[in-house]
Amino acid sequence: MFWRMVFQLLRGSRGRLAVAILAIVSGAAVISALLNLDLGVQNKLTQQFRTLGANIVISPASGAPAQISAAEVPSLMPERDVLEALRKLPSAQVTAAAPYLYIVARAQNHPVVVAGTWLDQAQKLDATWKLEGNWVASRADDARCLVGRNVVRRLHLAVGNPLEVHYLDRSAQCNIAGIVDAGGAEDNQVFASLRAVQSLANLPGQIGLAQVSVTGTARVVAEYSARLAAALPQSQVRPIRQVAEAEGALLGRIRLLIVSMVLLILILTALCVLGTMAALAMERRKDVGLMKSLGGSISRIVGIFLAEVGVLGAAGGLVGTILGAALSYWMGLRVFGTAISPRWEVFPATIALMIVVTLTGALPLRMLGNTKPAEILRGE
Amino acid sequence: MVATLVQVDNLRKEFGNVRALDGVSFRVDAGEWIAIMGPSGSGKTTLINILGGLDTPTAGQAMVDGTDVARLDEAGLTRFRAEKIGFIFQQFHLLPYLTAVENVMLAQYFHSTTDEKEAQQSLERVGLGDRIEHLPSQLSGGEQQRVAVARALINHPKLILADEPTGNLDEANEDIVLSLLRELHAEGHTILMVTHAPSIGRLADRRIEFAHGHLVQSAAALKPELA
Repeated sequence: MFWRMVFQLLRGSRGRLAVAILAIVSGAAVISALLNLDLGVQNKLTQQFRTLGANIVISPASGAPAQISAAEVPSLMPERDVLEALRKLPSAQVTAAAPYLYIVARAQNHPVVVAGTWLDQAQKLDATWKLEGNWVASRADDARCLVGRNVVRRLHLAVGNPLEVHYLDRSAQCNIAGIVDAGGAEDNQVFASLRAVQSLANLPGQIGLAQVSVTGTARVVAEYSARLAAALPQSQVRPIRQVAEAEGALLGRIRLLIVSMVLLILILTALCVLGTMAALAMERRKDVGLMKSLGGSISRIVGIFLAEVGVLGAAGGLVGTILGAALSYWMGLRVFGTAISPRWEVFPATIALMIVVTLTGALPLRMLGNTKPAEILRGE
Repeated sequence: MVATLVQVDNLRKEFGNVRALDGVSFRVDAGEWIAIMGPSGSGKTTLINILGGLDTPTAGQAMVDGTDVARLDEAGLTRFRAEKIGFIFQQFHLLPYLTAVENVMLAQYFHSTTDEKEAQQSLERVGLGDRIEHLPSQLSGGEQQRVAVARALINHPKLILADEPTGNLDEANEDIVLSLLRELHAEGHTILMVTHAPSIGRLADRRIEFAHGHLVQSAAALKPELA
């Protein structure tokens, strides 16, 4: 009889409840869309920030990463130690990682910075680079290299040309696979295989720098960085502050905006439900008087009304959540140019929020507890 | 020997400065049909409300089936109403969004557990077997009052309190409801009925007449069939 009563109440009061239902559905739709955006945006932004490059740099503890000219004593670290430390940490968080050995060599009698690295990681670590030609797919490919566009211009080179570089009394040659347009210092550099550059510099197993791109929020990156630092006590491990802070600040602002909007919508929805329920409570006084005269305790009577409101919140929340998922999908396409998939955890969260809000909005029903049946039934 | 079902002693009820009941005393035996009569504002409905546990007296005693209603707390009054009283109101007071059978089942729900079959039989008994699934808005006034009678009887109450049960009915429906009350009386139910109409009052075993909160007369009614 309890649920029969509840559904008859809902059916009988559907006109009166229409405004509350509309408020709950639209409130749930916007909240669900915002929550989906909040969760989705974190992923999208993290991905976007990863395209800005590495967010952790490992360098020798003694100071700035080494860029070795023929006359300098290099500050280096063992490649093996860095790789071992990276291997021990969870690889799922790492998007890309590469060691670097920089030397200042000469090409056609011009000084040129040559960076030995894992060329297969270049595209992942530096996704903003524009490349004319081809990437180098294997880190073991010693025969091919990437060359910055300023070097190409200065030395009158083109894709497919050979490039010979000299360092002390040694020399090495590679074919230009691609021309790098990074809009930065990389445009003045040559990128060759790490092994080839180590051999050219006669520094086998040594590197001057390593870059790591870690997926996750600024906090995740900081945590990963700290673990890496613990594993490499002889090296300096630093998150790149600008990227981490920009990411953290932007995500923080977006989250603050979304949380504020969710709170505002919850309050507005509760107020709307409150208004409807206040009117409904006045209408229901006669019903409550009658139920009391039939022997109904106030807890059982109010229980029926609260269940009615709870069903209203759950149903409105469910419909609104589905609409919100569609809304977030559309907003993702419009704002980020990529669809934001609905997150399953948003469904129960939104429905629970709407139930709580509607029950809060149903506070006027508490007034029914004071109903005096004798007064109501004689029409006062 | 017939047991006393209702014993009222020196009952007083005040609403601010207004004394609705002023030292009322009487008793009702089990199985009696009592007509409570008097002009408007004489305290009839107040008495019914106190005996039904809908209101509490200012002073005095109102015993119903051995329970002093004046001493019950809110929870006690709730159980008392559910278990011992069947109300029939002038305004019918059916819930508009429940069907006839659901209105009857509502009383079962608050009493203990619902039994739809029994509720249907109760409606069949008052001649509404074909109106079970109708909403109150789809029923005539007489039919609504018969639903109210079925609802009042469903929990087998000790005392039926009827406040102007035919006050809103036309003559034909009044006859139907009165004949139902006669049947209930014949079956041994105890009925306290408030009425203005002397012709209806005469159907009862006894009339208790009120004026200005006082009981002015208690007399055996002259039954129409005996007149």
